[in-house]
Amino acid sequence: MQATNGLTLLINGLTLALALSFLFILLWHDVRKEITQFFAVFLALVLLWNLGSFLAQAVILIGVEGSAARFPLIMLEFGFTGSSIALYALVASLVKMYSRRFRILLLAALVILFTYRVAIFAAGAPDPFVIDADGSLFLQTRTPLLLFYLLFDGAALYLLWRYQRKIRLRVLKFGLLLFIIGQSIGFLNPELDTFLISTVIGALATLVISVGILQQEIFRPLAERKSQVEAIRNVIASIASQNAVDSILEQLVRQSAELLEADGAAIFLLEDDGLSLKTTYELINDRLGSRLPLGEGVAGTAVQTGKLIQLDDYARDWKGSHEFAYASEFFGAVMCAPLVAGGDPVGALMVVASRHGRLFDREDAYLLQLLAAQAAVAIIQSRLFAGQTELNVQIEQSRNQLETVLVSTDSPVIAIDREFNLIFANPAAAALVGAQTVDPNAPIADLLPASAFPNNLRKALREIRKRRSFTYEAELGDKIYLCHVAGLGRPKMQGWVAVLNDITQLKELDRLKSEMVRMTSHDLKNPLQAAMANVDLLHEDIYETGSEDVRQSLDTIDRQLQRMNRIIRGILDLERLRDGALALELCAPVRIIEDAVHEIREFAREQSVVLDYVADDDLPLILCDVQQFERAIINLIENAIKFTPAGGSVKVAAERDNGEIVFSVSDTGVGIAAELHERIFDRFYRGKQRGVEHVSGSGLGLSLVKAIVINHRGRIALESEIGVGTRFTIYVPCA
Amino acid sequence: MKVMIVDDEAAIREALGRKLLRDGFEVVLCKDGLEGLRSFHAERPDLVILDIVMPEGMDGLTVCRRIREIADTPIMMLSANAITEEDIIDGLNAGADEYLTKPVRLNEFVARVQALLRRSSMTNIETEQRYDDGYLSVDLHRRHVHVNGKKVHLTPTEFKLLAVLLENSGRVVNQRDLLEHVWGREYIDDVYYPRVYISQLRRKIERDPANPLYILTEHRIGYRFEKQTHSTQRLM
Repeated sequence: MQATNGLTLLINGLTLALALSFLFILLWHDVRKEITQFFAVFLALVLLWNLGSFLAQAVILIGVEGSAARFPLIMLEFGFTGSSIALYALVASLVKMYSRRFRILLLAALVILFTYRVAIFAAGAPDPFVIDADGSLFLQTRTPLLLFYLLFDGAALYLLWRYQRKIRLRVLKFGLLLFIIGQSIGFLNPELDTFLISTVIGALATLVISVGILQQEIFRPLAERKSQVEAIRNVIASIASQNAVDSILEQLVRQSAELLEADGAAIFLLEDDGLSLKTTYELINDRLGSRLPLGEGVAGTAVQTGKLIQLDDYARDWKGSHEFAYASEFFGAVMCAPLVAGGDPVGALMVVASRHGRLFDREDAYLLQLLAAQAAVAIIQSRLFAGQTELNVQIEQSRNQLETVLVSTDSPVIAIDREFNLIFANPAAAALVGAQTVDPNAPIADLLPASAFPNNLRKALREIRKRRSFTYEAELGDKIYLCHVAGLGRPKMQGWVAVLNDITQLKELDRLKSEMVRMTSHDLKNPLQAAMANVDLLHEDIYETGSEDVRQSLDTIDRQLQRMNRIIRGILDLERLRDGALALELCAPVRIIEDAVHEIREFAREQSVVLDYVADDDLPLILCDVQQFERAIINLIENAIKFTPAGGSVKVAAERDNGEIVFSVSDTGVGIAAELHERIFDRFYRGKQRGVEHVSGSGLGLSLVKAIVINHRGRIALESEIGVGTRFTIYVPCA
Repeated sequence: MKVMIVDDEAAIREALGRKLLRDGFEVVLCKDGLEGLRSFHAERPDLVILDIVMPEGMDGLTVCRRIREIADTPIMMLSANAITEEDIIDGLNAGADEYLTKPVRLNEFVARVQALLRRSSMTNIETEQRYDDGYLSVDLHRRHVHVNGKKVHLTPTEFKLLAVLLENSGRVVNQRDLLEHVWGREYIDDVYYPRVYISQLRRKIERDPANPLYILTEHRIGYRFEKQTHSTQRLM
């Protein structure tokens, strides 16, 4: 009997020493980990229990009496009960069920237990463990002990059953169960011998638990890390080896499911503010490609919040809408990580365990996020690749289109670089040069004659810099081209491109038109001269003697002939202006006004309009074609007089405004409606305005004025108010 | 006074003729250039009125040149064709004294005819009779002009213009005075005339018409004749 006891104690000692060494390994691995701490407390209490048991045996052997004999028994009891509590705490920690208050409760339980023991000791109440006369150890008062045992071991057992899925190691489950069974054996027989078996089983169970925890905390993660690394390597390799996003995603979803020992997995991608199910693994994918609004479902929520969602029981924990119709029925644990690339969400990766499948822990979440990051990279990369490919295709297409356009156009197109060497010439341009193909990089000056370039190259280049384009007429062979030149490249100019339009025919047509206008006008002038001369003769013959009707008819014929004359003269004036040569000379503004007023004064008097002018003698000179400029001012005055009722006034003025001379002609006439302001400068346009139908004119006067002003690099403006008057203003630069 | 009208348009020819007849002129009407030249020889008119564009045979400019080869008779161009200053200058180059553009009112026409006749008949040149600097020599009395030793034909208007400027040499003659003295009071508003005739005159007497030495322009005021010494000419 004694020998047995001794052997038992030896085994216990060795077992616990082993467990203790495991504890040290665990503590060394990570002392801050809660489970390690709980396990340490648990192990300490089991040690206390065994130490108490050992000392009690020693007391029996030595036969010590009194309170010294009583101490080991108290130790035994405290260790036994305490390990129950610690076991519960350990299980709770293993299934991750504790909260912050849990520690306090646990501490309180230990304090109560300790206080209770102290109270029993102080009151001299009988101990639960006693040594009888035979020298045997007895468990005397069982009730409080049993209560503690039932309470904590029962709770631990409940947790084990309730969260059995959370403890994945069988050895750990077995050790915990063994410990509870071991403790319960202690209650079967009050005799200490039986209790010793309980101690032995307890010690063995502790060893098993320590092995389990060691495995769970150290070996398994190590093994998992290895397989994770391998899986990540596979994923990366597949991403690198494939460019089609679909096959990468398929690979990813399969790897994720396998690696996380999940029963299914799915990838959602963000498309136009909605999530679309792209690929699934071992899931019924009847919703493939369907659109899920952002913020709905587990994936939608994960994408919107940008956070990982981890559910232990989908049906119980998920209150939102469902991606999969059957999810509530079949899904157990679910994890969903958003796919984020460059700060923007691109989709979600979801892994699912069936209702009876595993639960996902923190390690799994970490792994899922790792996979999600890889997936995001893969998606972005493949999208970039696709975008790049598409861009290349587009560039190629537009290049082809452009080339086709340039090649097929009849207009020569020539591009040159900053050194005036040829970059490009289309076939039309090559034909112009007189070659089948043109050698790029040839100096343009060698290819084209001087007549092809602007007269003032410096000015042309300055113009292009300022306005981005320049247009000039170039003569090449027997053809005339209108050449548009624009800068190439922005912001730094890399060269120029010129498009040449053959305007030979247009020029010829224009010349013919001018010729025809001249001829027609001339041909009209002779009959007009004949008619006028005869009217004059008739006038002399019968005006005085004729009846009122005759006089009226003569006057009418005369007026109409004069009108015809004005029209013809207007057309010819415009034609002459279009020829453009100005006889420029320096001239004082006041002289122009004086001469103009002098010319038209008689007409003003006839119309009973007061004609007045103001101008300083010392105004700066202007450079102008006096003849033409006077014509412009006269036309304006004539116009003003025509549209001013008798008794009104017309005022002509010239003044200086910065670098310009401002000529103005204002009247107190009928005014010009705002909608006509733009059109009255058009050729042959005659304002159809109420009340001025009687006014005659060719409709050319103002267009002539405008043409003259533009020829003088000036501009013309108009202000008018119906019934109040009109003011025409001409601005020309000072000489 | 006998006026010859050369115009292919019968209606114009006859209307102008009737008006001149009415105002006391003798009138010769010709329907084309050839007939005009023939009549000029036969009739010796005091004034010729020439249309420029005539479809058959000789045009007005040619007729004008032919007449100038043999006579200083004042010639008035009457054209429907003048569009630019060049057209007018062409006419003046051919030796015309006046260039009227169609249509012209009859009263003005007659006034111009009278002015032109008056101008050409003016022989009373008072002051200096001769000018000679070695390059340009002018004999106002005999109406002879020599440039660099060669005789130059001036139309009556050109000659009159030169005479007025020469009389006032060293002084500016303003536009109005020039118009009044050379062309007559009727022309006082035709500021256009002196410019055309001055440039014509320069072409005939200046070495370099673009950089005149004799007839200088005072902008917007008038013109000035500057006498040259022989040495300045040599230096040039």
